[in-house]
Amino acid sequence: MKVATASLPEALRPMELLQGRVTPGSLDDQVLQFPAQRPSRAWYAALAVTVTAFVIGAFCIGWTLYWGIGTWGNNRPVAWGFGIINFVFWIGIGHAGTLISAILFLLRARWRNAIARFAEAMTIFAVICAAIFPVLHTGRPWFAYWLFPYPNERSIWVNFRSPLIWDVFAVSTYFSVSLIYWYLGLVPDFASLRDRTAEGWRKRIYTVLSLGWRGAASHWIHYDKAYLLLAGLATGLVVSVHSVVSFDFAVSLVPGWHMTIFPPYFVAGAIFAGFAMVVLGLTVVRKTMNLSNLITDNHLDVMNKLILAMSCIMGYAYVMEGGTAWYSANPYIQHTFKNYISGFYGWAGLTTITCNIIIPQVFWFRRMRRSIPAMIFVALAVTLGMWMERFVIIVISLHQDYLPSSWHRYFPTKIDFGVLLGSFGLFFTLVLLFARVLPVIATSEMKASLPSETGGPL
Amino acid sequence: MSGGTFAVLGLFSDAHKIVDAAKQIRPRQLGRLEAYTPYPVHGLDRAIGLGPSRLGRLVMLMGVIGAGLALLFEGWVSAVDYPLITSGKALFSWQAFVPVMFEVTVLFATFTAGLAMLFTLNKLPFFGHPVLHSKAIKDITRDKLALSIEASSAGFDAEAARQALLDSGAESVETVPVPTWERPLTLLGLLRTIAAIVAACVVAGAGLFAAEKLIAVVPPMVRIHNQPKLNAFRESSFFPGGRGMRPAVAGTVARGHLPPAFSTPEEAGILLSNPFPLTQAIAERGRRVFNDHCAICHGLVGNGMPLLSRAYGGKPGNFLSNEIRARPDGHYFGVLMLGKNAMPSYAADLDEDDRWAAVHYIRILQRAQNAKDEDLR
Repeated sequence: MKVATASLPEALRPMELLQGRVTPGSLDDQVLQFPAQRPSRAWYAALAVTVTAFVIGAFCIGWTLYWGIGTWGNNRPVAWGFGIINFVFWIGIGHAGTLISAILFLLRARWRNAIARFAEAMTIFAVICAAIFPVLHTGRPWFAYWLFPYPNERSIWVNFRSPLIWDVFAVSTYFSVSLIYWYLGLVPDFASLRDRTAEGWRKRIYTVLSLGWRGAASHWIHYDKAYLLLAGLATGLVVSVHSVVSFDFAVSLVPGWHMTIFPPYFVAGAIFAGFAMVVLGLTVVRKTMNLSNLITDNHLDVMNKLILAMSCIMGYAYVMEGGTAWYSANPYIQHTFKNYISGFYGWAGLTTITCNIIIPQVFWFRRMRRSIPAMIFVALAVTLGMWMERFVIIVISLHQDYLPSSWHRYFPTKIDFGVLLGSFGLFFTLVLLFARVLPVIATSEMKASLPSETGGPL
Repeated sequence: MSGGTFAVLGLFSDAHKIVDAAKQIRPRQLGRLEAYTPYPVHGLDRAIGLGPSRLGRLVMLMGVIGAGLALLFEGWVSAVDYPLITSGKALFSWQAFVPVMFEVTVLFATFTAGLAMLFTLNKLPFFGHPVLHSKAIKDITRDKLALSIEASSAGFDAEAARQALLDSGAESVETVPVPTWERPLTLLGLLRTIAAIVAACVVAGAGLFAAEKLIAVVPPMVRIHNQPKLNAFRESSFFPGGRGMRPAVAGTVARGHLPPAFSTPEEAGILLSNPFPLTQAIAERGRRVFNDHCAICHGLVGNGMPLLSRAYGGKPGNFLSNEIRARPDGHYFGVLMLGKNAMPSYAADLDEDDRWAAVHYIRILQRAQNAKDEDLR
């Protein structure tokens, strides 16, 4: 195999996905060592920062619960504000994980194996963060269960013709499926952890979580099939969840929202933002956990290419949106689009275009795709840009619609920013805890794809 | 079981070697073949004689059931149990049900693929399997591949299995004994589990109950009740009379409740006649009014003899008697409004249309109970 590929021209040779010699045993020693170790000072320092952010956010959530969402900047007509901006933002972040674990699995993109576990974990944490916002935004979160159709003493049901109920189903399905998919991948790794951990409470926990997995061939055939089926099912979810989120907008009549391009445009934006977050996380993880022989520059290079591709799709979507507004000959829609880049909030639209379309273009250069500072800068820019994009869509579209007498500007409050900060704190706290107690690389999947000379696959 | 041997494990490092070994050993039928590997080795399943997984069919089936249930549920909710017109769309607008159908399909299929695979097909969790207690398991979940010849009949020859594995290139061989474990599922254990579940339900229920009762009275929540608005009977200094609600202007008449222009049923009989022509709809409405309000005393056929009156005494009017049948429609209407003997006024319970509908129905009953020859033709 190796000999055959070496004679190919460089462009056709398969990408090198490992640095140095990696065997199944050395992989376990490298990846599964962390749960047994005391974490480093840097880990504690990072945890202190994220937990502080989370505590601030928790305080602001408590404040919101006590005083009601009058403490937020929401007003009429901007009734959605930060609550929905942050929801759409976080749900979007999750999509990269599902894309990597599902679509790239079906496409047999082998480089995904090293990063799939980390991206899937980010999906789950992002959906947890996302769920906070609509629940708080309902105003009385203790009645959040009213969102679900259940037989109740009021003899009323949810309206199945409303995109909002589709959203409830889409997000809760997305979370359940991501969690099962993630856990399924973890089962063989829990078995490895169980068998390398000394007797004690840790071993007991890993034993229970591994469900007594023993790697029997009769189990692997069902497991393989299940993984393939789940990848197929999750592929549908990658496309559907953010499409359904976009229906919340597109089904309404608000100028700037009522557009058929919204579902694909939202899905592309979600994957774009998610990839930026994964790159951001991976650069930190491979450095601090010394995993750069497994998560190589080649992996980051491919990720950055995908960011570039998504950025171009976003650029196309922006141009299409503008074109639709112009071609509609509808003064209300045209007014909204003018506002996107030139009104009171014009700076938000310009930031969006700069961060999402212009800055990622540096990835046309190979040197930039492989430079850690450059990719961190671009990833941060994309994260900011994608958050700003949702701000543009929600705030600018809502603050001036058909009836000029209802126009009203929107100003977020300290509490709004506090809850947003808290969601970032929660997200990174969960990522840090995950890196500490669970294998950040799916070892059983990696073992199956190690080169044959080291006793790997057929 | 010879000497209590569960299986003989041979360890390999290379995936090619274990597949070759499996192919060599399988025809010799030394026992049931199984392999334990840290990752799925393709081809090994066929080499030890395993067929393809039947999970796909199961997932397909559950996905279709999920889609069907979602469609039925959405249709029942939207068109049958709680018909709510939205944007002028049809009640059973299946196009709008597609997103939820899709999500439920994925949910059912995922739970089947993920959880049914682990729990049903692979029969996990299972912590008592002999291989889990072997010495080799540490290597199996790390980097070694184990081919196992398992005792499947009384004639199992552990020594032959051992030799076969060594001959086919196993690096080391381990004999795994049948473990002596107690039945994990005892009656006491089962009872304890049920008791724990019941206790957890009780605690959770009591907690939720307390939370729900408390939440309504602690500070942030009471503000929902104490809103700056005036309820109808709240005290207010704004209006004379000191009430939040202004009393209705004298002489105000509620819709459908015009005061009567008569003072006795006899007068009503002379003054009024039934304004509604007899139609199927008005007869249905009359039957509903009659059965809800009149039948309890006058009987379902209007003969004045229901069970209640027999048990309780009283003499409700017999609509079938010649005397009452001869009375004009207006008379019945008047009695409904003013009451008669022990019968109270139904003016507050029934509006004008209801009363006339009831009169029509009484006429129908009278005709039905005294059917003449030509009625039956």
